[in-house]
Amino acid sequence: MTTSVNVLSGKLRKSLVAYLFLLPALLVYCTFVLYPIIDNFALSLTNWQGGTDPKTFIGLENYLHALRDPMVLLSLQNNLVWIVGVTIGVVGLALLSAMLLWTTDKGRLLFRTVFFMPAILSLVVTGIIWNWIYNPVFGILNKIFESIGLSGLSRGWLGDSETALFSVIVTKIWQGFGWSMVLFLAGLMSIDMDLLDAAKIDGANAWQRFRFVTLPQIRHVTTVVTLIAIIAGFKVFDIIFVMTQGGPGNKTLVMSIYIYRQAFKYDAPGYAAAVSIILAAIILSISVIYIRLRERGE
Amino acid sequence: MSVKLKRKSIVRKKKLAASLIKYFVLVVLFVFSIFPFVWIWLTALKEPSELLDNIFGFPASFNWRNFTQAWVKGRFGTYFKNSIIITVPTVAGVCLFSALAGYAFGKLKFIGRNFLFFLFLLGLMIPFQAIMVSLYYELRDLHILMTYWAAILPMAALGLPLGVFIMRAFFKGLPYELMDAALIDGCNQFGVFWRVMLPSAAPALSSVAVFQSLQSWNDFLVPLLYLQKDELRPLTVGLMLFKGRYTINYPMLAAGATIVTLPLIIIYIIFQRQFISGLTAGALKG
Repeated sequence: MTTSVNVLSGKLRKSLVAYLFLLPALLVYCTFVLYPIIDNFALSLTNWQGGTDPKTFIGLENYLHALRDPMVLLSLQNNLVWIVGVTIGVVGLALLSAMLLWTTDKGRLLFRTVFFMPAILSLVVTGIIWNWIYNPVFGILNKIFESIGLSGLSRGWLGDSETALFSVIVTKIWQGFGWSMVLFLAGLMSIDMDLLDAAKIDGANAWQRFRFVTLPQIRHVTTVVTLIAIIAGFKVFDIIFVMTQGGPGNKTLVMSIYIYRQAFKYDAPGYAAAVSIILAAIILSISVIYIRLRERGE
Repeated sequence: MSVKLKRKSIVRKKKLAASLIKYFVLVVLFVFSIFPFVWIWLTALKEPSELLDNIFGFPASFNWRNFTQAWVKGRFGTYFKNSIIITVPTVAGVCLFSALAGYAFGKLKFIGRNFLFFLFLLGLMIPFQAIMVSLYYELRDLHILMTYWAAILPMAALGLPLGVFIMRAFFKGLPYELMDAALIDGCNQFGVFWRVMLPSAAPALSSVAVFQSLQSWNDFLVPLLYLQKDELRPLTVGLMLFKGRYTINYPMLAAGATIVTLPLIIIYIIFQRQFISGLTAGALKG
């Protein structure tokens, strides 16, 4: 009898000590992240207009409205285009540069330093710099085209509805490929060289070695890079906000910007809360599905 | 003999060609990565009138006036100070609290361990938009809205998930023998943590510190929404408003952008390894 009581109080005491370690982090996190999430959910069940207006309970009406809102559909579409564009661009460039640097000795450090540099910039600065590059009058992009005789390609990159989203995507690729490259490089450097040598002896050419030995060996890194790109692609806000604010004509409107607009410009924080919960649900589901798929593959 | 030599020289030529192509691509990517920086720094030194005629080239003379104007008239001195005031406590808080919590998650057994860890992971996936409005009113009700805390506390809270994730992974990897040896020597749990575990956690801590520093230094939405007094604004928000005010005077805007970026880049070049390992640590552990 006494032994079991001792065991129980021992476990309880251990737990209490552990909770003491957790307390500071838990306190800050619960106060400034968890509570707002719950409050936000409660907010989504009202038609609050912000400020001192009363909060009237309207149940799931906001959600029903959101599911029928064409702007929500449009934003999601833009998010998907963004995700596909940025992921392909970043993974493509990152893998390419990682493969090149992997087989390079001279100057590897210099290249790595410079490729990674864009990742440390604030997205505000990145947005301002690239806004300027894309500027139709002062911008360096159009000037380059004009100086090599391709002035037909000059245009208002961010103001033109055909090219706006694409232009911001290119900016994001510029900013992000170095970071993914470092991850790919780490993955490549941990490949067992014997596998590659064996393939070479078996007569595999460079492309075959890449496809059947290298790629499978870096599967883990590829999964991580892609998952992060997908989650970030749904959450994207700063860079688009600074460069185009969702315009021109909603061509670059993504979910996060639509939520921001509803909350602060159209005085509909209740509705914004509902859309934000929908976005959070999408991100959560995709993450879970993706991780499950990856686990099954291993 | 001559056939063998010929084959060898063809192979050597092929290798040279492959090498040249490789370096060509690398140089193209190099220029692609670096030209926006170089262009902005050069433009910051130009006169506004030079802009239209001399977009590519070097400035006619080193015009430091843009910088002094940006620092004083553009109030970048104030913004710089604010960025530091906001970043330092946030980083210190995240490092300390993540280490404590990460140690508990990684080495201690307790009820609800997996559930609580999952709770932290939630913070990594939710979009900021899901809490920004509620957070505003909560900060207002706590009466900290127009103070530095309105930025420090939310930033720290949002930085804790990744910090805890990294520290937990690190502590999990430490051998239990370290802990047992200290316990046998008479330390209590906290003593074990403070005297044994924490000192060996330096690499993981520096990753967290670097990552959080960059996050906080570059964060723009949190200070924009919750620090609406101009004296409190950090560099990121200052730069954005500066852009709105001085759209015509590009060299001055470039000078502002340079003030924001150059110190960071210099620190980056010196502490490269820490930056890169800090910014990729979370992903590699995943």
